Parts: sequence; C-alpha cells; structure tokens
Amino acid sequence: MPHRRAGLIACGAVGGAFAFSLYALSQMMFLEAEQRAGHVLTLYTWITSETFTLNLSILIDPLSVFMFLIVTGVGFLIHVYSLSYMEGDPEFPRFFAYLNLFIFSMLVLIAAADFFFLIVGWALVGLASYLLIGFWREKTSAVLAARKAFVMNVIGDVGMVIAAFVIFSHFGTLNYLDVFAAAKANLRPNDDVALLITLLLLVGAFAKSAQLPLHTWLPDAMEGPTPVSALIHAATMVTAGVYLVARCHVLYELAPYTMYFIAGVGVITAVFAGSMALVQYDIKRVIAYSTMSQLGYMFLAVGIGVFSAGMFHLMTHAFFKALLFLSAGSVIHALNGEQDLRRMGGLRKSMPLTHLTFLIGSLALAGFPLTSGFYSKEAIILSSYHGEMGNIFFWAIAVLTAGMTAFYIFRVYFYTFNGTLRSPEAHPHEGPLALTAPLVALAGLALLAGGLGHWVDEFLAPVFGAAPVHPEDELLETIAVTAGVVGIAFAGILYMTGRDRLEFVKQALAPIYDLLYNKYYVDEIYDFLIVRPTKAIGAFLEEKAERQGIDFAVDEVGAQIHGVSRGIGLWQSGKVRTYALNMVAGLVVILLFVVFL
Amino acid sequence: MGPNFVLIISATIFCIGALGFMIRKNPLIMFMCVELMLNSVNFLLIGYSDFLNSMDGQIFALMIMAVAAAEVVVGLAIILTIFRTRHDLNVDHINVLKG
Amino acid sequence: MFEITYDLVVFITGLMAVLASLGVILCSSPIYCALYLIGHMICLALLFLLYHAEFVAAVQIIVYAGAVMILFLFIIALLGGRKEIQEASFERFMALSFAGTLFGELLLAATVGPTKPIQGAVDAQVLAEVGSAKVVGLELFSRHLVPFELASVLLLVAAVGIICLAKFPSAPLKRRTR
Repeated sequence: MPHRRAGLIACGAVGGAFAFSLYALSQMMFLEAEQRAGHVLTLYTWITSETFTLNLSILIDPLSVFMFLIVTGVGFLIHVYSLSYMEGDPEFPRFFAYLNLFIFSMLVLIAAADFFFLIVGWALVGLASYLLIGFWREKTSAVLAARKAFVMNVIGDVGMVIAAFVIFSHFGTLNYLDVFAAAKANLRPNDDVALLITLLLLVGAFAKSAQLPLHTWLPDAMEGPTPVSALIHAATMVTAGVYLVARCHVLYELAPYTMYFIAGVGVITAVFAGSMALVQYDIKRVIAYSTMSQLGYMFLAVGIGVFSAGMFHLMTHAFFKALLFLSAGSVIHALNGEQDLRRMGGLRKSMPLTHLTFLIGSLALAGFPLTSGFYSKEAIILSSYHGEMGNIFFWAIAVLTAGMTAFYIFRVYFYTFNGTLRSPEAHPHEGPLALTAPLVALAGLALLAGGLGHWVDEFLAPVFGAAPVHPEDELLETIAVTAGVVGIAFAGILYMTGRDRLEFVKQALAPIYDLLYNKYYVDEIYDFLIVRPTKAIGAFLEEKAERQGIDFAVDEVGAQIHGVSRGIGLWQSGKVRTYALNMVAGLVVILLFVVFL
Repeated sequence: MGPNFVLIISATIFCIGALGFMIRKNPLIMFMCVELMLNSVNFLLIGYSDFLNSMDGQIFALMIMAVAAAEVVVGLAIILTIFRTRHDLNVDHINVLKG
Repeated sequence: MFEITYDLVVFITGLMAVLASLGVILCSSPIYCALYLIGHMICLALLFLLYHAEFVAAVQIIVYAGAVMILFLFIIALLGGRKEIQEASFERFMALSFAGTLFGELLLAATVGPTKPIQGAVDAQVLAEVGSAKVVGLELFSRHLVPFELASVLLLVAAVGIICLAKFPSAPLKRRTR
C-alpha cells in the first residue's frame, strides 16, 4: 500500500471517530442533566451461563464522552502531525496501523461498560504502547524500553485482573452500574472489600499512569517516535489510571483511606518527578518527567475527591503536553533527530512558529495566568488545601512542584530557543503545513481551554454527583502563581543564554545533582532489590533444582525405562505367529474372566 | 437343529481357524484361516438371526463380508508386495520388527 | 419325518464344514488348502440356506466362494504354491493347547451361559419371507443405511489402498543382520 494512502486512511478513521464523538456530545447536550448518565448499549451477548453473563456493551455517559473527545481529538491532531513527521520512514504503514490499534484499544477501554472489557482495553493499550515504543526495532535501547514498559504494565494488569476477580466473587457481576449500585447499598465506608478492590485497581492505575513506584518505564518510553510520546505517553494512555479512579469513584468514595493514599502517592510523584526533570538534558525526558509530575497532580485531585477538577486537568494537560511534545518533535525533526538540550539553542529565529507554540505550551504547563494550565492547576492546588480531604502538606508540596515545573520547562525553553545553536552542522527549518497545523490547533486549545473549566464541572456533574464548589482564596492563589513566576524567573537567570551559568551552584549541590540526574537511582535500586536477587535465585535453582533435581530425575527415569524396555524388547520377536499365539493366550484369559467370573 | 449345534459348529471352526493361524507359516494360508474365523462368526450370526426372528444378524453378516472382502484384497496386495521385495513367503523370516 | 430329515441334512452339512476347515489347516500344499476352503464356503452357504438366509447364502457363494477364492487361487498361481513341511515342534504344541483351551472355554460358555429368550420385532407376515432379498434390502436401506454406506467407503478405501501398493514399487529390503 502506498505510504500516503495508509496514512490518510488512518487519519480518516480517527477523524471519523472524532466526528462521532462530537455527535454523541451533541446528542448528550439535548438531554436533561439527570438523564445523561448511565446509558448502556448492549451490542451482543457474548457469554451466558447460570452465574455469569457477559455482554459486549458500551457505556455512554458524560465521562466517557468527555474522554472520547479528548482521545479522538488529540489523537486526530497527532495522526495528522505524524503524516509529516514519519514521512520517509520505510515502515510508515506499520506505524499508522499501530497508532490506530492504540486509538481503538483506548476507545475500548473508555467505552467498556464492565470490568471485563476495561481489562481488555487496558491490556490492548499496553500492547499498542509496547509496539510503538519498540517501533524502531533495530534500536536496542528502544526494544529494551518497550520490554520494560510492557513488564511494568503487566504488573498493573495482574492487579486489575485480581481486582476483577474480587469484584466478581463479591458482587457476582462485572457490570459497572450493577457493581456501583451494589457497593453503594451494601458496603460501609472503609469496608475491607472496598479497600481491597480499590487498592488492587490502583495497582493497575499506578502502573499505567507511571506513579511511584511503578514509574520507571515512562522516561524510557521516550525511545519511541515523538508522536507516540505525545499521544500515548502524555495525552491519552497514561491518563487511563486517572480515568479508572474517576470511573470507579463510587468505590473510591467508599474507601477514604485509599483516597488518602492516592492523594499522597500523587503529590509525592509530582514532586519526585518534577525534581528529576530539573537536571535532565534529553528534551523528551524532561517532558516525560513533567508528564509524571502532572499525572501526580491529577491523582492528587481525584484523591482529595475533586474528580471533575482532575478530569479538567487531564484535558488541559492533554492539550498542552501534546503541544509540548509535538513542538519538541518539530525541533528534533528540524535538527535531524538531535534530542540533547546541550546541542540545541537559538532556534527562535529559524523556527518562529515552533518557538511560539512551545512557549504557549510552557506557559500553560507552568500555570501562567490566563492559560489553560493555570485554571486547572489552580483548582487542584486550592482544593488540596480547602477540599474536605485536603491539608497543608498536600498544598505545600503541590505549590513546590508548581515552582519546579515552571523552572524546568523554562530551562528547556531557554536552552532550546535562546542563545546560539550549538550543533553547527544542522540547518534548522520550520516543518511543512501538516507538521505545524496541529501545533497551531493545540496551541489554541492550550491557551483557551481554561475557560471550559466551569462547563466541564457541570458536564461531568451527573457522573460525579454535584459539581464541586471551588473555594476562593486569593492568598493561596497568589502564592501558587508566584511560585510559578519565581520558577520562570530562576530559569531565566540561570539559562537565559542557553548556557549553564552558576556552575558553583552545581558544584555546591553536587550530591543532590547526581541524585536527581540519576533519577534517584530507582532503576538501580530495582536492579539491586529485584533483578539481581531474582537472577541469583535463578542461577541457584538452575544448578540445584534443574540440573541436580529435575534433570537428574528425568534422566534417571529415562535411563531406567530404557533398560527395562530393552528387556521387554526381547519379547518382541518380530514373528507374526508368536504374536498370534500371544493374542490367543490373551483371548483365553479374557474369556476366563468374562464367562466364569 | 437348535442353538447348541450352531454354537458348537461355529466354535469348532473358529478354534480350527485360530489354530491354523498359529501353526501355518504361509501367509496365504494364514489368510485363509482368518477367513475361516470370520465365517464361523457369520454362521453364528445367521443361526441366531433365525432363532431370534431378527434381521439384525443377517445385516451384520453382510457387513462382515464387506469387511472381509476389503481385508482380503488389501492383505493379498500386501503379500504380493512382500513377495516382490523379498522373494520369500515364510512369515517366520519376516521379522524386521524384531525388538 | 421332515424334521428328522432336515436335522440330518443340517448336521451332515455342519460336519462337512468342520472337516473342510480341518483340511484347510492340515494340507501342506496351498492349492489344496484353497480348494478345501471353497468346499467349506459352499457348506456354509448351504447352512445359511437351511437357516433361512437365502440372500446371505447367495452373497456367500458369489463373493466368497466366487470372487475371493478366485483371487486366492490367482495369487497362489502367481507366487507358486510351495509345499510346506509340517513337523511337530514346541510352538505347534503350544498353539494346539491354546486352541484346545479356547475351544473348551467356548463350549463351557455355551452350556453355562444363559440362553437368551426368543424375542423379535417381526410379525408373521414378514417372518414368512425372512432372509429373502426383499426384506434384507428393506432392512439394509432403512435401518442400516449408514453402516451400509460406511461399508461402501471401506471398500473404496481398500481399492485405493491396493492401487497405491501396486503402483509405487518398493525397493528390495536388505535383510537386517544382528
């Protein structure tokens, strides 16, 4: 198939899905708010048994429509972007096939009306992610990263599957609506079952959304092509965990301990990832850590019970993070695959459009006033103090992270676009229209989507109960904004010219710097705690159990049987008449039994 | 003559057939002995079909005949092939399958 | 009077069948064996006839005494009917004792085992023509159609099998020495 046609078919498919999502939205707007939730379309009855019925059905409610719009909308823009970005790749059609597989899986995940198809979609997006991270399969690091991501995701899948078992054994159904109704009716707050289910589901959510301690795969996932990073590892797939918590909010509301746990892990991941992003030099890795950090914010939001704020941040984040990734991709494209910040610089003049879009993305990420990120992040930060489950620690760490966020993203910005170009052989240039048009569209969304906050709250209210009350607190708001501005200012001071000034700061804080640069040695800790002992046990078992136990036993059995059969083999004379003799002898004995016994 | 006669005659022929199969070395004659055994069973079936007033025995005998015919044809072809390759028809010499 | 004659005929025919079968296994020349077998088949066909199985008797004559035995004779003619020296041996003795035991057991089973009461689902009108080709055909093509078709498939497979055996020449086998 010609490359161009493959790409166009893929884009058309996603564009069509987006159109249908818009249609679903328009249909939903016609309904009264109370009637919007809980539409289950059963397409096909797959399994019917006495105790278990499995329908191929989809759940249409504001939450799923909301997610449809984000996934297909951002997905469509990224597909268009990929048309140009991947041009010339010999395996262009394969790439688009994988991308479409991903969109399909993600839609299955979102549209599922029961935990079974949720897990199907969940595993399928894991697969698509694996295929796309390892798309450049001739690159060893990409293959290893794909494997790592897959293993981490499967850990999550196992948690999900066990959670589904527990749900089924306890409620006798996997259907969302039935389970939620039964849970509401039967479970007390902090019931053992509720805690068990929510924690097991959380394993899956944390693995998919790269929260501590299952986060290590996300930075490595940047080995994939940049549109993949934008689509899967920033805008859509990694938010599946947040979606899961929001979807199962009924269960989570019955388990406040788990909610605290989510909020705690979220906020710690936010600061943890943010601090790692401070010192990385790979442009995509910085944005990847930033993604983790923002996902931490979303988990903070759903953990303190402001689900719609979390979903709103999910939406704005999808816009500005996809924008940042695609802009970074544009830069990488212009510099022929260069990803190291230290070899960039001064691109403001040669790539004015990308510069502008990246700046908008950075401002939105940093929560600069009037950008979309400002509204969504402010809502979360304020709720982290004023919400019913909020407290001062959550708030303080969230604000600290906001400052860090502003710092690291503007560090990247200044590194990339200010100063002079540090790789002399490159000739940066703006990409073609297919590359820049999605950038412009996303920039517009990243800039303006902030105004949708109220609408999102109201739209999702039928799912989450009443729309949350947003506290007004000018002092806290000011502090948060100030943190962001201070971060930008610091970055400006240190990196304005695109060079590391203040070498002495680096020297003075060398241990911390090393710690951050090496990502808190988490990979090494995993290596030391899990991989090495496993390997050692494996080697030990190979020697003792395999060679001297199983192999020995099997060999001995074989040898003995061989010896015995040599003996028996003498019986087999090869003479037909002897066989006949034996047959008649057998007949005599059988008759003896049949007739006389 | 009643059932006992049929039983005795067919048992005798069957045992003679079995004995022949065991003592003869010529595969052709061994085949004939197999035919003897099959025929004795046929006789039993026909006789009892008559005593029990049922057609099933005769139908069964017909089926056995069909099987026997097929078996004879294939068996003789095998014997012919063995003879073509070995030029020897003593089954005691055909012991390639000796363990 | 008729009963006694009938029984006598049956008895003599049965005895001849047994003797003919003895002849099959005792003659040393294959051609005589085949001739005895033909005699045995004819005796059996007569017995079938006496036991009211006209159709099967006809089939016995045509298929067995006719086609199959012709095939036997043809093969014997082709391969040469070599005589077989029969001497007493331990193997022979074992075979004889086994066959004798088997015979004894069968006889014992016949006397000891319960005799099934007569039960048939055939009315008087059909009974009158039991064994005729008409009834056999009716049975064969109504209740036993599937086994009948399977038998035809079996014959077809046999035909294909011998074509395969005859068509592809097999290399002479080297005798294994060990």
